[in-house]
Amino acid sequence: MSMPASAVEPPHWAFQPVRRPDLPAVKNSGWSRQPPDAFILARLEAVGLQPAPPADRRTLLRRASLDLTGLPPTPAAMEAFLADPSPDAFAKTIDQLLASPQYGERQARLWLDVARYADSKGYVYAREERFFVHSWAYRDWVVRAFNENLPWDRFLKLQIAADQIVPEGSPDLAAMGFLTGGRRFIGVTHDIIDDRIDVVTRGTMALTVQCARCHDHKFDPIPTSDYYSLYGIFHNGADQLVRVDATPRNDDFEKGLAIRQKSFDEKLAGRRTGAAARLRARAGDYLAAQLELQRYPEEGFDQLLQESDIIPASVRRWRDFLRQSGGAFHPILAPWHVLSRLESKDFSAAAEKALATLRREHATGLNPAVAAAFAMPPASMKEVAARYGTLFGAALKEGGDAEVGNFLQDDAGPCAVPEAPLASIELFFPTNHVEELWKLQSEIHRWLIQRPEAPPYALIMKDLPPEPLPRVFRRGNSGQAMEEVPRQFLKVIAGPQRKPFTQGSGRRELADALTTPDNPLTARVAVNRIWQQHFGRGLVRTVSDFGLRADPPSHAELLDWLAAEFTASSWDVKALHRRILLSAAWQQASRPAPATDPENRLLSSQNRRRLDLEQLRDAMLAVSGDLETTMGGKAAELFQPANKRRSLYGMVDRQYLPGTFRTFDFACPDFLVGQRHETTVPQQSLYLLNNPFAADRARSLAKFCEETPPSEAPGVLFRAIFQRPPTERERELASQYLTEAAATAAGSPPAPPPTPWSYGFGHYDEDSKKVTKFTPLPHFTGTAWQGGPKLPDDTLGWAQLTAEGGHAGNDLDHAVIRRWSAPQDGTISITSSFKHGHPEGDGVSAFIVSSREGELARASLHHGEAELGYRRLEVKQGDTLDFIVHLGGSLNNDDFVFSQTLTSGDHTWESAREFTPAPSAAATVLSPLAQLAQVLLLSNEFTFAD
Amino acid sequence: MISYLTPPPRTSRRDFLRRTGMGFGSIGLASVLGQAGALGSGAPAIGSHFAPRAKRVVHFFMNGGPSQVDTFDPKPILTKYDGKPLPAENLRTERKTGAAFGSPFKFSRYGQSGLEISELFAKTAAHADDIAVIRSMVAQAPNHEPSLMLMNCGDSLQARPSVGSWVLYGLGSENNNLPGFISMCPGGYPIKDTENWQSAFLPGAYQGTYVDSKHTRLEQLIENIRSPHATAGVQQRQLNLLRRLDGEYQQRAGADPRFEARLESFDLAFRMQTEATDAFDIMREPEPIREMYGSHVQGRQTLIARRLLERGVRFVQLWHGGSQPWDNHDSIEANHRRLAAEVDQPIAALIADLKQRGMFEDTLIIWGGEFGRTPSVELNENGKSKMGRDHNHYGFSVCLAGGGIKGGTAYGATDDFGFRAVENPTTVHDLHATMLHCLGFDHTKLTYRHAGRDFRLTDVSGEPIQAILT
Repeated sequence: MSMPASAVEPPHWAFQPVRRPDLPAVKNSGWSRQPPDAFILARLEAVGLQPAPPADRRTLLRRASLDLTGLPPTPAAMEAFLADPSPDAFAKTIDQLLASPQYGERQARLWLDVARYADSKGYVYAREERFFVHSWAYRDWVVRAFNENLPWDRFLKLQIAADQIVPEGSPDLAAMGFLTGGRRFIGVTHDIIDDRIDVVTRGTMALTVQCARCHDHKFDPIPTSDYYSLYGIFHNGADQLVRVDATPRNDDFEKGLAIRQKSFDEKLAGRRTGAAARLRARAGDYLAAQLELQRYPEEGFDQLLQESDIIPASVRRWRDFLRQSGGAFHPILAPWHVLSRLESKDFSAAAEKALATLRREHATGLNPAVAAAFAMPPASMKEVAARYGTLFGAALKEGGDAEVGNFLQDDAGPCAVPEAPLASIELFFPTNHVEELWKLQSEIHRWLIQRPEAPPYALIMKDLPPEPLPRVFRRGNSGQAMEEVPRQFLKVIAGPQRKPFTQGSGRRELADALTTPDNPLTARVAVNRIWQQHFGRGLVRTVSDFGLRADPPSHAELLDWLAAEFTASSWDVKALHRRILLSAAWQQASRPAPATDPENRLLSSQNRRRLDLEQLRDAMLAVSGDLETTMGGKAAELFQPANKRRSLYGMVDRQYLPGTFRTFDFACPDFLVGQRHETTVPQQSLYLLNNPFAADRARSLAKFCEETPPSEAPGVLFRAIFQRPPTERERELASQYLTEAAATAAGSPPAPPPTPWSYGFGHYDEDSKKVTKFTPLPHFTGTAWQGGPKLPDDTLGWAQLTAEGGHAGNDLDHAVIRRWSAPQDGTISITSSFKHGHPEGDGVSAFIVSSREGELARASLHHGEAELGYRRLEVKQGDTLDFIVHLGGSLNNDDFVFSQTLTSGDHTWESAREFTPAPSAAATVLSPLAQLAQVLLLSNEFTFAD
Repeated sequence: MISYLTPPPRTSRRDFLRRTGMGFGSIGLASVLGQAGALGSGAPAIGSHFAPRAKRVVHFFMNGGPSQVDTFDPKPILTKYDGKPLPAENLRTERKTGAAFGSPFKFSRYGQSGLEISELFAKTAAHADDIAVIRSMVAQAPNHEPSLMLMNCGDSLQARPSVGSWVLYGLGSENNNLPGFISMCPGGYPIKDTENWQSAFLPGAYQGTYVDSKHTRLEQLIENIRSPHATAGVQQRQLNLLRRLDGEYQQRAGADPRFEARLESFDLAFRMQTEATDAFDIMREPEPIREMYGSHVQGRQTLIARRLLERGVRFVQLWHGGSQPWDNHDSIEANHRRLAAEVDQPIAALIADLKQRGMFEDTLIIWGGEFGRTPSVELNENGKSKMGRDHNHYGFSVCLAGGGIKGGTAYGATDDFGFRAVENPTTVHDLHATMLHCLGFDHTKLTYRHAGRDFRLTDVSGEPIQAILT
């Protein structure tokens, strides 16, 4: 583990300027194809290792195609490439791949890992729409940026400060989703800013500035003050949702939007005015609150507040205002400032002195009403607050002091609720107002999310009027603000001569500082991320940490050469890809690493790489001909069978991320991920074996072979899936499999055993204790028996039975009945649990009725639970037991849970477990050919790129 | 440092799986063997730092926040003040509270130790001499969200791995055919959803597997556990073919340990379809055992938990129910009585059952919520009593039992009214440090490198509570 650099040591390699080294001398000069090769070969020769032979052409094309576009080549592309004898055949192919729109899609996904991309905000309170409006527009912007080969410096700059670079309404504003797309941390400002500092510093410069939030960085030369310099930049801005395509949509959409916008705007304006009036009216109380700040918690400690309460956010606003105005003379608050610095001992005497000095030094500046109020020395700070309270009250009356009145009315003053988006000011309102405002705000957001014609929106950051300088929070605790720091860049990069930023928040200047060619980190980090993409790991393996504890580069000079070349090429990303793919190093075959370099850090061969979730899923869709190549637009649930678009367009709902994402090592969307984990767990195998996804692809492939003579089918499958013909042996294995599979008629799952359960409806006559007219429910949905495909059904209404319960029918003639018919004679015991879960409505009633003994148990429930049972009931084969539920007085919230367990000796029947399985799966069973196709899709050859 | 391209070290396969397993089989060779190379950072699961007292954990999570003064923290003075204002000002909580609200429940002394427990947990109390109560827990905010995150993941706001994920990362799982960390919650997610069992920056394989225990059918319990399109026979043949074709491929491509790892994981998945069926099927238990746990869903999921623990699952969380059942802002007497009745019998049954199987000594049992409740009564908007209690993070109780825990102990104390922890205030980090200690870990050394820092479950503080350890 490295220790912080001492003065005598040379500075850490990553902080030194990038210089372009000369190419090293090599013996085997014929091997190199690109300048980077010299660096690789020199190291290999130095330790006596030979580079691997070049990979064969099939391997090369598949590898290049997966690297650049995330998709395997089509068989046609493969054949064209193999048939092209020209020496630049591969270079031409690379250019085609770089020019294909799929290139941008693949590269975008890799960057979205860094940008901790998600379509939802993470946990929010119920009042707030939990999906972002803007995510997809950001994702599409990233795709376009790669496809248009936006220079890397501009790519980064726009993501950090597009609001200050491009005009209003520009589609490039969408880039700022990089900053604004993180988790919302239930609105806690400090954590939102922390997330942004991290994504910017680690994403662009691989510096873990976040570590300096609570104390100076333990390893890197990043003091806490630098963290708060950046904190100040992001604090001095607010998020704003802006439309980036002004083209009017249809009237219906635009009108609907306008109505929603209007009701929100009006309500917000009214609430702001009301809140500010309350704040002014109680300004004295807010001053008094400053004397016991510990009673008012910081953000993240949420109290339910009423209009009559002191609002903690406003107490904090007063606190900050006082803190900031305390440095200079303030015509109204001067006595407060002066007196609050006094000791409480002998307060009165000290106050008299201090006030005299104040009057002397600021005879004209001090507001006369204030001067009058403090003509006599107060006895305590409490009294000071009280006097201000009286003074403020008088000023607000007709004819009151104008200067004091203006101070209380000032939009930038402590009594104001700032004019800013709701997310930034919600804490200034009592709880019921916050809920009401969020509901209206969410109406707008939902309109934009749900309407298919909605235009793209960008969630940008916009500077607020310049704020006072940020202060360092002791141990990261916002309640303990320490010294002020300028908004400025990191000292370790900007050097001791750095100048504070001067334009607004300084965010634009930050973006510039990140992307000047002499920033030693940005270019190194970018080329290293791209190198990792092509070799499975970076020259620096800790791709998002270039600090003192970073892994040292395996080829430091190569890293510098690439970085220098990258900035010299005006940050040309496609040129960098091209250069790497044309290198002899990249084109090596993959093979086991030599014993002397077990990690293959010296790259004496290419590294075999496993397809990630997106590559694997997209490749399966592609080879089966199912891939839909439509680009862009709103996200849809990824694991829905109907979704056949590239995985990039799958919904990343960070709060309810479907388990399959992380099963396949998808990047956790809560923070920047520079390199995914690579795990092998049986859940992956279960998904591939049993989930319909792979099976559906296999079916498509089998269908594709329908016209093919059976003996040719394996060849067709191999060509589609691996873009190669099978070997003789493979053809033999495949044919043998097909013959055997066809011969074993065990292709279909066994018929389910006869069940004692049936599902119907009827009338229960409580007098005779008998069921009349048991009629089976006619329709099975896969999870429920009911009247028809939709609920309520036109004739049978709401009547429904599910595994665990169901829904009572619309009247007493439609009680739902789960019937058990005794398969043999015996003695049974019955237990059951019955539950109605709604306070609404009037509940439901349940009965257990034996055809032999009549009613055995009953219960009427409304928002409650009951256990119904019976011990030792004699039954004869064919007797029935009915489990009946009908509604209470009226049809209202009549769904219920009612499940039964019947035991007889060692035999048990469970109603929920034995609920009718889906109708015979015969139609879904895979044909032998589809079984074969599935095997090929599951194979290692398909899952790895050699 | 070893990369993912090296052959596995010379370890027997059994050791290898035990060392690296994390439930549902092993994490891939890439992650196990590769450190910085494949994972970017981090250390592999290296096993305990010292001999563990507990090998597995079951956590009864009373989500919503059970009231300490009604369960494990008797306050006779509070009862005396019932209906009168507390002598000191009420602490600030989420909502407004009023007068002292004495517990409507009767406390008694149990066991040799005489540990005082309320009638709500009378059945569990039969095991009082096995239980250590921490009566001085503190959290950071009176809101469910941050407190759930703190209790489950050690941080109120930031995305951090959950306790179960850390434990799995540290110890692996002893059954490769089942997930090593399972969170059961009947009827949907608790507040904060899957964040409660997230693996965050640890590999996805360490995250908790959620099971909605209201279901009884296996297909609904575990995703993709059944094939809708192939019989076991067909799958067996497919896997045979997969191996044979892969042999052909490997002849051309050369050996790579990752190839074998994948093929094995298919075999594991195939076997799991049977193993999981068995583990989740409580009907395979004799009737007396089922009766001991009771037929309520709490009993059912507790019995499933025992079957899972028995099969080597490392960490099981049993949530009381979707959303926040214990959040009794009003009518606490009826609500707490009902909730406690649902869970008391299963807890007592589990302790007895583990004892009779010789598993109690090395199973760590935890009971608690994300915080406690106020000793003062909650008021509605008009200042009227709601006969319930608000959230209280200033002082609450958590119970532990089993491996490494000194039973019959009460540690720490709240003030006379049960509002604030005053004696040995215990942070959630202390609790986590204690849990890790029982599992054989020095909590300061179970770390994972992420974003330039060596993160640990307990962040920068926390001490194991020696007084409740054997």
